[in-house]
Amino acid sequence: MADAPDQPAKRQRWKWRSATLGLVVIGVIALGCLYLVNRFTRDDPVTYADPEEHFKYGSTGGERESGIPYWIWKVLPKMFPEYLPGKTYTPGTEYVSLGFLYEPGKDLPIGVSRRNTQEIDRVFLNCAICHAGCVRETPQSPRSIYTGMPSNTVDLEAFERFIFDCASDQRFNAPRIMAEMEAMGAKYDLINRFLMRYYAIPLMRERLLMLKGHFRFTEWEPDAGPGRTDTFNPAKTLLEFPLEKLQTRELVGLCDLPSIWLQGLRKQKNFHAHWDGNNSMMEERNKSAAFGTGAFPPTIDLKQLARIEQWLLDKEPPRYPFPINAQLSAEGEKLYAQYCANCHGRNGRDFTGEYVGDVVPIDKIGTDRHRLDSYPEELAAAQNTLYAGYPWRFSHFRKTFGYANLPLDGAWLRAPYLHNGSVPTLRDLLNPSAERPAVFYRGYDVFDQAKVAFVSDVSRFDEDGRSKDDPENPRRYFKFDTQAKPNGLTARDRNEGNSNAGHEGPAYGTTLSAPEKDAIVEYLKTF
Amino acid sequence: MSLRPKTKRILWVSVIALVILIALGAFFTWTKFFREEKEVFANEEEHFKYGSLGAEGDRGIPYYLWLVLPRIFPDLMPGPGGYKSFGVVWEEGHEIPVGFSKKVVGFARITNNCAVCHVATYRLSEDEVPHVVVAGPAHTHNVQSMLRFLFKAAHDPRFNSDILMNEIRLVSANNYGNGGLSFIDRQIYHYLLIPFTRKALLQQEKQFTWMERYVTGGKPKPQWGPGRDDAMNLTKYFMTSMQEDNTFGPTDFPSIWNLGIRSGKDNTGKQMLLNWTGDTPAVRSVLIDSALGLGAPARPWFLQRMADVDHYLSNLTPPPWPFADTNPINQQLATEVQKVYARDCASCHEPRAEFTNKVVPITEIGTDPERMYSWSKDAAAEANRRVKQLGIDRPPMVDTQNPYGYISPPLDGIWLRAPYLHNGSVPTLRDLLSPPEERPQTFHRGYDVFDPVKVGFKEPPPRPIGPNGELNQPYFLFDTRQQGNGNRGHTYGTQLPDEEKEKLLEYLKTL
Repeated sequence: MADAPDQPAKRQRWKWRSATLGLVVIGVIALGCLYLVNRFTRDDPVTYADPEEHFKYGSTGGERESGIPYWIWKVLPKMFPEYLPGKTYTPGTEYVSLGFLYEPGKDLPIGVSRRNTQEIDRVFLNCAICHAGCVRETPQSPRSIYTGMPSNTVDLEAFERFIFDCASDQRFNAPRIMAEMEAMGAKYDLINRFLMRYYAIPLMRERLLMLKGHFRFTEWEPDAGPGRTDTFNPAKTLLEFPLEKLQTRELVGLCDLPSIWLQGLRKQKNFHAHWDGNNSMMEERNKSAAFGTGAFPPTIDLKQLARIEQWLLDKEPPRYPFPINAQLSAEGEKLYAQYCANCHGRNGRDFTGEYVGDVVPIDKIGTDRHRLDSYPEELAAAQNTLYAGYPWRFSHFRKTFGYANLPLDGAWLRAPYLHNGSVPTLRDLLNPSAERPAVFYRGYDVFDQAKVAFVSDVSRFDEDGRSKDDPENPRRYFKFDTQAKPNGLTARDRNEGNSNAGHEGPAYGTTLSAPEKDAIVEYLKTF
Repeated sequence: MSLRPKTKRILWVSVIALVILIALGAFFTWTKFFREEKEVFANEEEHFKYGSLGAEGDRGIPYYLWLVLPRIFPDLMPGPGGYKSFGVVWEEGHEIPVGFSKKVVGFARITNNCAVCHVATYRLSEDEVPHVVVAGPAHTHNVQSMLRFLFKAAHDPRFNSDILMNEIRLVSANNYGNGGLSFIDRQIYHYLLIPFTRKALLQQEKQFTWMERYVTGGKPKPQWGPGRDDAMNLTKYFMTSMQEDNTFGPTDFPSIWNLGIRSGKDNTGKQMLLNWTGDTPAVRSVLIDSALGLGAPARPWFLQRMADVDHYLSNLTPPPWPFADTNPINQQLATEVQKVYARDCASCHEPRAEFTNKVVPITEIGTDPERMYSWSKDAAAEANRRVKQLGIDRPPMVDTQNPYGYISPPLDGIWLRAPYLHNGSVPTLRDLLSPPEERPQTFHRGYDVFDPVKVGFKEPPPRPIGPNGELNQPYFLFDTRQQGNGNRGHTYGTQLPDEEKEKLLEYLKTL
């Protein structure tokens, strides 16, 4: 045994070697775990210091679990242009035919935010998709973007239809989408490519099809069109109410998107907001709306939302940028004080008035009751469970029996009017229902200074919905018909919910003379 | 044999480590499963509506599981609205319906309390928020439907942790730092609470087989319907282990306000009895037995709670007629008819009168006998024995003759106690004053729009549902021809001329 004296030394050496090897292996595994943990807990929203930019592009947290991978967002209009209203792929402004607003130098439109979660860039909608709009003085003028105004151009329902059509198409499959994305410049590392290919894209399709099923109620009511949405039927789908068992009168819930300026003043006076006055607590309304941006109790980004909430407290509507006839306006002020102030506040910044923020019984206001009926007692009860387990559990939703009187700050930007957006201009609202336009166009952003609203008259549009004053503009605008049809199986067939009746009579100024009405409208320009 | 020092040390370290681990484990278990959080209520009324009877251990459903069940199984519910579709009363702004309790015993659990059957709503039209009256009969709540829902869900393949946790994660999860269920809590739900609840529900279903059992003639048992339960059969099968029989004793939920006038002795010194067949001599006993039926554990705390509830309900004033604006009581007519009332009604219905809260023989009263058949002397004896076994000392149930009859109760707040008779087979007071052949043969239960003229709830109109507007009647069709639902009997006053009946209605509104 020549090695005998070396045995213990050799054993020692091996002991050290195995120990070192062991440590190295453990070290590598530990580093690997650390890397993976880091990677899969990454949560980086794109943030903006400027509150206005934050409102337009900041994230509410929706991307976390409802997000669309950024490259899919970019590639869908290229793969499926036939599902867009414009039927064309316009790189750089892919969703422009849906009324989404693109600012120069921005890759994503207003209302779409971006966040990196778990090392995948995702996008989703934020508040500005419904609450930012634009105005042009003439078709040739540059566009002015105003935040906090109800979107006048975005057709949310058309966007939903687009994305559901994409998901239903057999070409929406993981290998095909991967190929198209990479052709467009997407670079995914090994892990992401695997996750996208085998997990994220199939999951996305499943979710979109689930949402499509949820949103089948949109086929039972008239089209929303730009600037409108059905607010509370989606809330029922969130709670999985069986839609076919809902009362027929609940199924049309279309209403005009609202402005959201000066929330502080509204909060101070505890206004019952939402068109039917069903919630008097601002923070709850904000969180309720945030569901629409994909933000759920676990995923809502409370910090980012708080920034927006703070900003909206004092955010004022922009001043009317066009000339105002001071004398006419002064006459209007007197008439306004007599006919309007009690319900709508003294002016655009002073909301004192006996009935401001109160719910007017439906028989008294006489406007279309479909939106009111779409919010049933069962939903109000069930919404008490939203955010259950959190300190901010919803507890302020109420069933009401009318529509709320709200202040008219920035009224010039809130066309069309009434809760269902059935009256195109302020001037028309001062006429009785029979004299209001039965048909008009929505979605256009050129301003009509005479009637105070967006250009909407049928004479300005051809039968395809294109603007006659704006021949270069390929967009087709939405024909809005206020008249119900007598026959039809569903509310959609009967065009229910778009009636422009109500808010008329001596108390509402519709029996005043034409010059008097002009004066009131002139005064409203100052709001 | 002695151990090497090294081994001894290792042994000691291991033992200490083990002890520490066990201690931590015990603490963890106590925190997550047993730690009780005290409930605080603003007043007795809130306590009655939302307080716990302590049934969490026996019947508690984990809160988040309870919350998402309507979202996973909407097809198993009568209609949209989650639990509201069972007709539970849900006050504005409240997290859970009236009659439910959310209490933390380790984790938040949902149980029911007295108010689940004893809170009433009314309104004059559907365009009005319902008024809630504590201790009234829960005429809108279909308890049987809700129970069956839970059992159906437990059988359904969708009742698994994967599907349920997907929904719970949308409701509460602390995966982005907002608070809510922690990772550990979610695992507890996934691996323990959900499977356990499923098992427990399937177990509990076995205790309700008597509910589905066929009656004589091979016909399935009629439904309880909203506002009713099979009260004595419930007691029989829960408290005793008597063999299942074919009896069906449907009982309209009673009002339980003002119980002070029903307890003790009447004006002639005779003992007053409670329950429709006069089974119990004391308010306290009814409360105890009912609460035990809801799963309350027989602990000292429980008896104190029963004493408090007894005190609260004994002194709770019945609701006065609330329709002074639209349908005021004609006081003159009410006064004129008092002689008739005194002659024809008072001896059985005036508080503490000779025949009030006493059993009226079935041959005399002539109402449906099924409720009477569902209880017996043996059952009473057995129930008494069981309660004593639990260590509870309460006035025992009465040995009733079998068959005997029904008691006549006082009429305090009678305006809100529709439908009428022990089995709720007569919808309005006006109908009760009509001879049985003229009373409605069928009507609908569960609607809370009030008829101030006939005094009772209105017949709900069918309503269009779905996109095509098909007419649908969501309310429960009550058929008086079914076993236990007969509306014959109590023909007192049915021969009076119409004007006297109108006056009588005015007087009854004042009670």
